[in-house]
Amino acid sequence: MTALIELSGLSKTLTGQGEPRPILSGVDLTVNAGDSVAILGRSGSGKSTLLSVIGLFDRADSGQYLLGGADITRVPERRAARLRSAEFGFVFQRFFLLKHLTAAQNVAMALVNGQGWESRRTRRAKVMAALDRVGIAHLAKQRPPRMSGGEQQRVAIARALVREPKVLLADEPTGALDTETGALVIDALHSATDRGCGLILVTHDHAHANRMHRVVRLTEGVLRAEPRGVAV
Amino acid sequence: MALSGRFRSALVIGGQSIRARKLRTLLSMISLFLGVLAVVAVQAGSEIANRALLADIELQQGKDGSLRAGLPPGPDTVAITTDLLADHPGIVGATETSAVIGEPGTTPINPGAQPFKHASRDQGGYAVRCDANGMCTQVMDDSPAPPGEAIEVRLVGVTGDIRQFRPFPLKSGEWLSFDGEPSLSPRLVLNQEAADGFAAHPVPAQMRVPGASADTTPRITGVIDDGGYAPTAYIRADELFTWLNPADAGSDPRTGQGTMMQLYLWPSDQPALQTLTARLSGAGVDVTHIYTSPVDSRDRIGSQLDVMRWIFLGMAALVLLIGVAGILNVGLATVGERVEEFALRRAVGTPRVLLAGIVLAETLIIGLLTAAAAVGAGAAALEVASTLFGPSEPLLADVSFPWQAGVAGVVAGVAAGILGGLLPAIRAAGIPIATVMRA
Ligand SMILES: Nc1ncnc2c1ncn2[C@@H]1O[C@H](COP(=O)(O)OP(=O)(O)O)[C@@H](O)[C@H]1O
Ligand SMILES: [Mg+2]
Repeated sequence: MTALIELSGLSKTLTGQGEPRPILSGVDLTVNAGDSVAILGRSGSGKSTLLSVIGLFDRADSGQYLLGGADITRVPERRAARLRSAEFGFVFQRFFLLKHLTAAQNVAMALVNGQGWESRRTRRAKVMAALDRVGIAHLAKQRPPRMSGGEQQRVAIARALVREPKVLLADEPTGALDTETGALVIDALHSATDRGCGLILVTHDHAHANRMHRVVRLTEGVLRAEPRGVAV
Repeated sequence: MALSGRFRSALVIGGQSIRARKLRTLLSMISLFLGVLAVVAVQAGSEIANRALLADIELQQGKDGSLRAGLPPGPDTVAITTDLLADHPGIVGATETSAVIGEPGTTPINPGAQPFKHASRDQGGYAVRCDANGMCTQVMDDSPAPPGEAIEVRLVGVTGDIRQFRPFPLKSGEWLSFDGEPSLSPRLVLNQEAADGFAAHPVPAQMRVPGASADTTPRITGVIDDGGYAPTAYIRADELFTWLNPADAGSDPRTGQGTMMQLYLWPSDQPALQTLTARLSGAGVDVTHIYTSPVDSRDRIGSQLDVMRWIFLGMAALVLLIGVAGILNVGLATVGERVEEFALRRAVGTPRVLLAGIVLAETLIIGLLTAAAAVGAGAAALEVASTLFGPSEPLLADVSFPWQAGVAGVVAGVAAGILGGLLPAIRAAGIPIATVMRA
């Protein structure tokens, strides 16, 4: 069986104002369909950088990135946009909802992206199904400023799920939420793996990490397996 | 299908963003509106001035593209020419002589058909000759007649309807009728200056033409505007020559030039002119002095008005530039505000070309709508000005909005939209997702 995602020796150097800094230096990671992986690591260790390479926001400098067996290490931007639309769903710490749109319109945003077209009726059905999956179908007409943090993050998850992606990437999705609400959000993410979706979760919360199939830690630019059940 | 998907997505996204920023969209339209209005005003103004100038020159010189030919004076010139022109209604001949209307045997109020404004009988032994433009020259005259109630006019005899070449607007009464036999009581149509003179100075209705066999009682049938400053009367040539021998018209003691003839014709009638030249030559007229010149009214005004137009267009362009800066400013601010939105849209798979296209389309639509509004406002303003001031200001009387101004306005609006939207569009396309979304 081909792995969903297969990273080998992936490295990435970022150049900000100062010296070029190697952030990733040989990351190996394999994620299969229905797999869930938690990535731990202290702040600034490069977790977000790794997710942005996996999610094709950015490209690796060297190494190899196979998606479903296809080499996409240096995929051009046009195709990357198509892959982001079709294969990936994203959830961020800040929810990134558009304030002037309703919850339903925010979810529909992933369908109205210039990649194919679906009728208003089909869009509405898909949006409502996605909102229902995260338990907030009743908030469809609500705008983000009038929703709680947990509700907003679940709108963002619905937006990530509405195109039935193969991989769900979540970058500290509970960072801005209290423990209880955070747990609900992790539930929503985790349930996606039941349908064969791969989940990569960046988190600082060990309880959330331990609910994943695997836990890895990013240190000095490489991923290492984290011993199971380590207490906080 | 892919294209239509993109297009429809762009419509939805652009519509959402305009609805979210109604006020800002409106504000960005205002500065551009003024700029486009300035361009429209300059274009409309110069078009109207152009038309007015052209109409004025056509009154005096003839329609653009027609020809004028001058026939040298000679005893048989007029007779041969009128004879030939009877078969060529498309060619119009005009002779010019002078006539004094009023008290017989006196010096008129305006000797030499001077414009009345600076007419003076006291020329100290000189007589005055004036041409259609009011340019007067003095000639020796040792025995001036005593002053009397009389008016001198340039008398222009026309063989046909000269208005096909010089479109004189009718001010009152009727233009000469060329149907039917010539009347023994000559019918005159006055120009504005002559009409004003007769209104200001009541004179007896008796007309004396130098060289004519008898004085006649003229009938004035109408008043036209011929664009000239000298008092002028138009008459059917055949009515003039009923009692004036064309050959004798040359015996005017003050000019001693004899009757010349001007021909107005279109280039297609040139063969007839050659026939005429041959006949005149056969009658002993020195045809080497026949000259033909094209009427180039448009060229005459072209250069002088173009300079003004460019100056004003330059100023309008500056105003327009401010409008572009306004759109650019708002566009960039909007992109700045929407950095997260654009990064997010790229993250969910929207191609960057589409995002750039949406930003560009937004400003383009703003530019187009604004231009349409400005052109509409300009046309409406002109309409209002025309109805309000048309009666007193002939330049504004029944002018229609020049389409060139509309085109210029729309082009300016689109150009402003593209210029003002390009930079924001490029910025929108270049927003890096990773940097914006990093937690
Ligand atoms: N555009 C950039 N250029 C250079 N360095 C960057 C840039 N963005 C982030 N960094 C640096 O890269 C490191 C990794 O950042 P990040 O991947 O966001 O870490 P994490 O998500 O694990 O907190 C940090 O030290 C950060 O300062
Ligand atoms: Mg991070």
